[in-house]
Amino acid sequence: MSRDTTIKKILKKPRTIVLIIFIILSLIAIQFHVIGNEGVAIRTVSKNSAAAIAGITSPAGTQPMAREVIVSFNNKKIIDEADYYNFIEDLRINQSISIKTVKKNFCFVFACLSNKYTTYRVKVLPEYKITELNETEIITKIEPFFNVTLNKTVNITKTIEQQKTEKEIIGAADIGLTVYDSPTNNLRKGLDLQGGTRVLLKLEEIVDQDTMDLVIDNIQQRLNVYGLTDIVVREVRGFAGTGDQYVLVEIAGVNSEEIRDLISQQGKFEAKISDDIVFVGGRDITYVARGEGAGLDYGSCAANTQGEYSCRFRFGISLTPVAAQRQAALTDNLQIINENGNDYLNESLTLYLDDELVDELKIGSELKGNPVTEIAISGFGSGATEAAAATDAINNMKRLQTILQTGSLPVKIEIVKTDTISPKLGSQFIKNIMLIAILAIVGVSLVILVRYRKIKVAIPLVITMLSEVFILLGFASLVGWNLDIAAIAGILIAVGTGVDDQIVITDETLRKDYNEMQLSWKQRFKKALFIIIAAYVTTMVAMLPLYFAGAGLVKGFALTTMAGVSIGVFITRPAFGGILQELLKK
Amino acid sequence: MNRKERRQHLREKKDSNIDVEKKEESNKRNFFQTIYEDQYKKLIFIPFFILLAAIIIIVINVAQTGDFVNKGYSLEGGISITVIADNVNIELIESTLHSSLPDAEINARELSEAGVSKGFIIESNMQDNGEAIINELEKLSPGLKGSDNISVTTMGSSLGDSFFKDAVIAIIIAFVFMSIVVFIIFKKASPSLAVILCAFSDIVVTIAAIDLFGIKLNTAGIAALLMLIGYSVDTDILLSTRVIKEKKGKVMTRIYRALKTGLTMNATTLVTVVIGLTLSQSTELSQIFLILLIGLIIDIINTWIQNVGILRMYLEKKSKQKNE
Repeated sequence: MSRDTTIKKILKKPRTIVLIIFIILSLIAIQFHVIGNEGVAIRTVSKNSAAAIAGITSPAGTQPMAREVIVSFNNKKIIDEADYYNFIEDLRINQSISIKTVKKNFCFVFACLSNKYTTYRVKVLPEYKITELNETEIITKIEPFFNVTLNKTVNITKTIEQQKTEKEIIGAADIGLTVYDSPTNNLRKGLDLQGGTRVLLKLEEIVDQDTMDLVIDNIQQRLNVYGLTDIVVREVRGFAGTGDQYVLVEIAGVNSEEIRDLISQQGKFEAKISDDIVFVGGRDITYVARGEGAGLDYGSCAANTQGEYSCRFRFGISLTPVAAQRQAALTDNLQIINENGNDYLNESLTLYLDDELVDELKIGSELKGNPVTEIAISGFGSGATEAAAATDAINNMKRLQTILQTGSLPVKIEIVKTDTISPKLGSQFIKNIMLIAILAIVGVSLVILVRYRKIKVAIPLVITMLSEVFILLGFASLVGWNLDIAAIAGILIAVGTGVDDQIVITDETLRKDYNEMQLSWKQRFKKALFIIIAAYVTTMVAMLPLYFAGAGLVKGFALTTMAGVSIGVFITRPAFGGILQELLKK
Repeated sequence: MNRKERRQHLREKKDSNIDVEKKEESNKRNFFQTIYEDQYKKLIFIPFFILLAAIIIIVINVAQTGDFVNKGYSLEGGISITVIADNVNIELIESTLHSSLPDAEINARELSEAGVSKGFIIESNMQDNGEAIINELEKLSPGLKGSDNISVTTMGSSLGDSFFKDAVIAIIIAFVFMSIVVFIIFKKASPSLAVILCAFSDIVVTIAAIDLFGIKLNTAGIAALLMLIGYSVDTDILLSTRVIKEKKGKVMTRIYRALKTGLTMNATTLVTVVIGLTLSQSTELSQIFLILLIGLIIDIINTWIQNVGILRMYLEKKSKQKNE
């Protein structure tokens, strides 16, 4: 039989067709776009930034390849991250730029079938430095207000006295985008391979599902305040002992301690007068000032006797009427005292974060018995230099603002694991793993060649190995798995088991005593199949408990192994048998 | 000659080849074959002795440390710092860290790919030492802190503890499930127990080897132990199916046939594991490769000496019962 007819025969077999269909489906799922893939993909868009105003939105849980990719600025091509940052550096205030983006679909190595282009006009905003002056001003403000009797929101005009601020333009503000080199495929790299921050939090007490959802929402919100959208916050459980509950937070591409600290704070905020609670963060607060109406007190930075600097920050909040009444009731009986020419109440407002006293504020005498809803919150930051103290104060303010705005977590949490992984290390790992994979394939092929001395056995075996990996990767990108080191170990096991099975099939096919017994090819394959299925079932049941164990730390490993051996047994193994049968026929 | 006749002719030719092979097989036995075929009842004591020694090693380890394995940072709680660097003076790093943090248990290890230095890993059992270690490293290589060249992972001791408990439960459940499946497959007590004993012995001896070599087990290592169950059972199922389920041919011929297939399977896996072990830069993957390497070598002894011995004794007993 000629070579052509053998190949034709192989391709006509249903099991080969099934394999080819799965390879094509994987290709569609992975969408390799290697050549001509230029631009930078948008990771996040900061709130109220120039980009957000222009209508650019943060990607929401889409496949990596479906993300919006910036291809040009003012018709100048953006090839990679370096190009992007070069361009961004030179922006001037009020400069208008046109950003051209593309949403790609159905990409295959060279090109994409569908390219949806959008052009945004972005006006560069100025960056302000806001300093509070040592005087106040009266302003009128129009605010939406929910009227209970009318059952709708109405605008009310308020007259408030507030700290006078001075705005100074210090340069062009960032347009508010974080970007990364446009992805070449839909494979999601896990944190180990991509770099980023991972925090595993343990709940100190067992909670019901509603509370758990609240905790997850809260953490998600707090991170969103920072303009981070490429984050995973999910519940994980272990099954041993007490059935501990954990929350896993993963932030790709971000390597920041600030975030770790933010998550780690439970954020239980209470303001007290003596021992009575006046208001609680989240529940009693309707508005927290950010940007305008928040900042460092003018001239508040000063050095103490040890030469350490401290700075004061201040921002406004609005209380609910209920909390304002509570405040009025608690201050009504207090005494007015005079200090340095100012009238204060004899008890101060104490601020507690996670039951720790963070600040103590003197209460102005005008608040006595007065149910005001607008309150200024202030606090300190310190450092070795004035600049350091100012930064610290700003950071403390941001943290307080976030906690007040998004409320507190209903339970205490404890950080049990933190990982900050460098993106550089990740790419080094990938190169390393690729090298191991290629050499392993060569090594396995050599063993097969030495054992069978037939290229006709080695070639289908390598093809099967590669298609197994490929289909597994296609499946991973379809369901949105993150490929981390554990998952790679799983792929390795699946392929290793696959090779073992292929050897069993080859040996059964080549058995000489079956010729004697006049066994058909089908009967031979059946004999091999018994061993394969038995081995498959034992591997599956051995991996199943791992899926549920260990706070999800090895879930990826269990999943990839199970998916991999299943793909092997049901898709690639039958095809291998079919190809081998045709090739070994003489 | 038409096609049918030709095929018939070929088949006859092959049959005669087989007869020749068979004769050769029975006549030319080398020294090892003689021992392997005739002394199997004595050979079986080798794996039994190894298992016994392994259990003693583990008992000693429990007596000394309170646990049957030495836990690494991810099971005990602690910190792991990976740094990318070109020129690594690992002795200098280790001595600097030991002198500045004398109380902490610190391990430093160089990362290399095929002999080329790529960086280093520092592990410590104390989570709180992280900052101090990083500060020391910063002194050795200014600009390192907060840069892209450093990765830090910490594991709380409570999580490490509960992970370890979970993992032990997972391994036990996996083992029970596997045993049930094996019983369903073979339906007979002795062959099934032989497979289960083999898997048990693989895990126990591997753990003992880990203890003996002073390897600290991490989360990845636990996964590797579970993989071992899968790999171990694969060759055992192959052997038992060929020996018990098939009726034709001599028992020894069937065993040799299974041995040939099984050793090819082991060879491909061992090649991969050795390549991985020499090249891997990830602590996790390295540990998986190392445990698989140890486990597979032990599995070869357990499957082809212990399991073969048990199966042959089982068949002998069965044929005796038949004759009576």
